[in-house]
Amino acid sequence: MAAPLVLVVLVAVTVRAALYRSSLAAFIAERVEVASPLNAWKRVVEGLALLDLGVSPYSGAIFHETPLIIYLFHFLIEYAELVFMITDVLTAVALYLAIQDYNKVVFKKQKLLIELDKYAPDVAELIRTPMEMHYIPLKVALFYLLNPYTVMSCVAKSTCAINNTVIAFFILATIKGSAFLSAVFLALATYQSLYPITLFAPALLYLLQRQFIPIKPKSKSFWLYTMQYAALYLCSLVVIICLSFFLLNSWDFIPSVYGFILSVPDLTPNIGLFWYFFAEMFEHFSLFFVCVFQINVFFYTIPLAVKLKEHPVFFMFVQLAIISIFKSYPTVGDVALYMAFLPVWSHLYRFLRNIFILSCVLIVCSLLFPVLWHLWIYAGSANSNFYYAITLTFNIGQVSRARQTRLHFEDCTGSGVLPATVNSAGCVWPIQSSIAASCLSCSS
Amino acid sequence: MAAALPAVALLLGCCGAPLASGVQDQAEQFFRSGHTNNWAVLVCTSRFWFNYRHVANTLSVYRSVKRLGIPDSHIVLMLADDMACNPRNPKPATVFSHKNMELNVYGDDVEVDYRSYEVTVENFLRVLTGRIPPSTPRSKRLLSDDRSNILIYMTGHGGNGFLKFQDSEEITNVELADAFEQMWQKRRYNELLFIIDTCQGASMYERFYSPNIMALASSQVGEDSLSHQPDLGIGVHLMDRYTFYVLEFLEEIHPASQTNMNDLFQVCPKSLCVSTPGHRTDLFQRDPQNVLITDFFGSVRKVEITTETISLDRDLTVFENELPKDELATEPLKYADQLPVAQIIHQKPKQKDWHPPGGFILGLWALIIMVFFKTYGIKHMKHIF
Repeated sequence: MAAPLVLVVLVAVTVRAALYRSSLAAFIAERVEVASPLNAWKRVVEGLALLDLGVSPYSGAIFHETPLIIYLFHFLIEYAELVFMITDVLTAVALYLAIQDYNKVVFKKQKLLIELDKYAPDVAELIRTPMEMHYIPLKVALFYLLNPYTVMSCVAKSTCAINNTVIAFFILATIKGSAFLSAVFLALATYQSLYPITLFAPALLYLLQRQFIPIKPKSKSFWLYTMQYAALYLCSLVVIICLSFFLLNSWDFIPSVYGFILSVPDLTPNIGLFWYFFAEMFEHFSLFFVCVFQINVFFYTIPLAVKLKEHPVFFMFVQLAIISIFKSYPTVGDVALYMAFLPVWSHLYRFLRNIFILSCVLIVCSLLFPVLWHLWIYAGSANSNFYYAITLTFNIGQVSRARQTRLHFEDCTGSGVLPATVNSAGCVWPIQSSIAASCLSCSS
Repeated sequence: MAAALPAVALLLGCCGAPLASGVQDQAEQFFRSGHTNNWAVLVCTSRFWFNYRHVANTLSVYRSVKRLGIPDSHIVLMLADDMACNPRNPKPATVFSHKNMELNVYGDDVEVDYRSYEVTVENFLRVLTGRIPPSTPRSKRLLSDDRSNILIYMTGHGGNGFLKFQDSEEITNVELADAFEQMWQKRRYNELLFIIDTCQGASMYERFYSPNIMALASSQVGEDSLSHQPDLGIGVHLMDRYTFYVLEFLEEIHPASQTNMNDLFQVCPKSLCVSTPGHRTDLFQRDPQNVLITDFFGSVRKVEITTETISLDRDLTVFENELPKDELATEPLKYADQLPVAQIIHQKPKQKDWHPPGGFILGLWALIIMVFFKTYGIKHMKHIF
């Protein structure tokens, strides 16, 4: 599998290098869909320039990156393009290895369940075979590397790519089963952009599953493991934050980074949902609504954890989707990360009802973003409502896709009411064939 | 100074030794105030018929200033509204400042430079700082130099730290102080007298920081300036109290008056004005006692005509240095000292490159190595080395 991966990597690098050399790079770099106030490259350069002038980069509300990014780019700023290409490649390789490992786990479980005869006879056609699952890791890497969103993000040199790399490494570490590394990378991811803290739950669930620890509140080993993992995570987070203090000898990165993410003061339009609301809101309501919107991101973790506790990797995927839809400054780079996971659940595709409509919605919205932006800002014949409408439609498309996937995933795996064992990712029917009948009908 | 010097020379050469003492006295007079020309910027910032009194205030000061000698070419008059031709004016073409229509301050020779909607904060600041578009006519420019004494009179509605312009924008005391500082740095005035007649007027001069500014206000912070008298025939208040009494005071001044600023400070005590007028002289280099009213309100030239010949006395410099002892003992401010031009031109800020502190790098890499070995175990070390 290495050779096709290398080929894909080469193609991706070529595409990016070609775009860097072309005149499109400048155009893409200033698109608001790709560069948000949190991760625009212009701001990184500005922050480093301020630092060279002897001023704290966080003064002036321009620069909202963490000190580790300052450290990274202080030495690598001349090779920025190379850095971003390498991060994309690293992300793709990490996802490739992660999904490869994950598939092995899936197979093992499936084999176990087949031997235990837990499958109904009429699901034979949906048992996943090694043949069809052989290419999934490559597809994942392909989906990530050649996704136009990723390419645009890379060409714009948006540090979203670095966030994606850290999250990819976190997923790799989780799937490999190393709690320590997973905690470290999760701490790094949280440190970078705060929202991955919600990925704590799926990671914990996956690791518990791997250790065969039952997820019952009464079980002592469950709490022990949870405490260990939480302690590892919190300690690494604290260590990283304290280390960042020593870079500039000041704590003002905390309000600049996390205060900025949480309080959303910059209302530049982006593909998210925050800017339009807060542009129109009266001052004395803004705190309330900021809290409501932010809670919306973190809110789905616990219900999803309850519902999807048997399928933590799917939970992780849904959580990533929720983060990238509801975070305060989303960009298409965030969308690209969770879109890379779609091949993993390609066996569900025949049950997704509106896949055509949803794909069309997403493609059309992506194409309409620059059009309506031009109409609004340059031609002056549209206004912010148009752009926000497309943002809304785009997000509705994403939410629908996530919902459809989840719904059919669930329908196919049983809602946990019936005493059936389920494969962690496969489409398995419970023993009662009546449910099987209803599930077969869900393909209509 | 250049204009006064030949006159002095003429004087001294003519008088000779026996009249030396008289000459010296007169010569000293020449150097009392360093100004050679006078300007006035009179601003009324209020619109609408019910703000009649602000226009009347401004026009009254305009009239006094013209009477005392400042020509129209040296007055920048900004009136935000036209009361004389206002449809609600029962006596068109007049603006009265005393009840019973005693005194028409509009007259036949009023020259308004900025009228109606041209009276904006931007235009006012441009007039003061001289940063006006090249197409502005001369009458709309403040062409002062470093030997000009400028009178700035403002009236309208104000608050704590701001003055309202035409009900749509405001100028703050900080902006005004910065404009005056710009004027100082561009040497656009020798001395400046700032008079403001608004509510809480004293707040407008509290932020001044440029030298040679004297300021008067009609009320302190927290107080309102009140209007004086309504005229039942016209139906509005005609004047504000402070300006009314200032004008009464000014009516007694003629070009040769020796009345000084201390008398002006006493105008309109609280019993008459209801508000407490305030003044500020800490930025002013001369003692207000020695400052004549006509230094600001009039355009008085000290000229002596003589038919005798004078020979230049080389001890002329003695007069220049002999300032009265009771003046503020400050050294004369030179332009070059204020801006360290040499430093600015010849010295660029040193480009010190920032480096991350060693402790940070050490800590970071130690952590990374620790994580690496914790994950992969020490036994792999021999594979690396």
